[in-house]
Amino acid sequence: MYSWILRVNTVLTLSVTVLAALCAVASMTDGLHRPSPAVELKVLNVGPLERLRNGDDRIALTLSIKADLESVFTWNTKQLFVFVAAEYWSPEEGFNQISLWDTIIEKKENAKIDQQIKSKMLRKATRVGYFTYPFQGKDLRGRDFNLTMYWNVMPISGAFFTDKAVVPGFQLPISYN
Amino acid sequence: MDWEGQKLAEQLMQYFLLGSALLAFLTGYFTSSYRTMLYIYLAGVVLTFLVAVPNWPCYNRHKFTWLEPEYADKPSQRVIARQQAAGKKGTKSQAKR
Repeated sequence: MYSWILRVNTVLTLSVTVLAALCAVASMTDGLHRPSPAVELKVLNVGPLERLRNGDDRIALTLSIKADLESVFTWNTKQLFVFVAAEYWSPEEGFNQISLWDTIIEKKENAKIDQQIKSKMLRKATRVGYFTYPFQGKDLRGRDFNLTMYWNVMPISGAFFTDKAVVPGFQLPISYN
Repeated sequence: MDWEGQKLAEQLMQYFLLGSALLAFLTGYFTSSYRTMLYIYLAGVVLTFLVAVPNWPCYNRHKFTWLEPEYADKPSQRVIARQQAAGKKGTKSQAKR
């Protein structure tokens, strides 16, 4: 500490270290936060189930998406990435998830969602060479699926995490057209 | 700065930084604004620089006591050795640099 250069160095180093500790403590306060989101997902209209020539199934849906995610925001939240997915289980593959809609919310004031959107569920067939697996691509008929809204929380400092709200009980048409 | 002054400067630096970090955290948390926390901490860091870095008079109260310059009259060990080497070998020896 005998010269001013040395003192500048010491103050600078210590201030950066303390800043790191400060941000760590700030991110730990997220553990005390209990969010209470409200989510309402509905299918308003189900279009005809199409069977495409390349083996894919496709269906158009009209969804009503309403959510109030204001309570998910803390002082340490940078943005939320929200998406709605249709999910179903099949014996051949297990868990399947098709994303229907997404958005990015950067401010707490914009965290109320009230939209009606048209989206398409596209179930792509997997091709190996010239063949498609027979059970894939054609398996949307009569499917029971859940609509789940996921939100990825990106904090300003700290670990990224994700949470969801599941709305079960939707079904697709049993036959093509 | 003298020794006491250096010690004081280091202590003040630590107190000011930790204090401004604490103040910044509390203010930011209770106003729910991360930005406020960072601004207050930055202000605290600038204040710490102003307090601890310049050579303020309060850091120079306990002056150094320098020794009397009595050793300046005696030749250095190197000069003595060179004179002895020159005395043994005659005038042929060159002074080693």
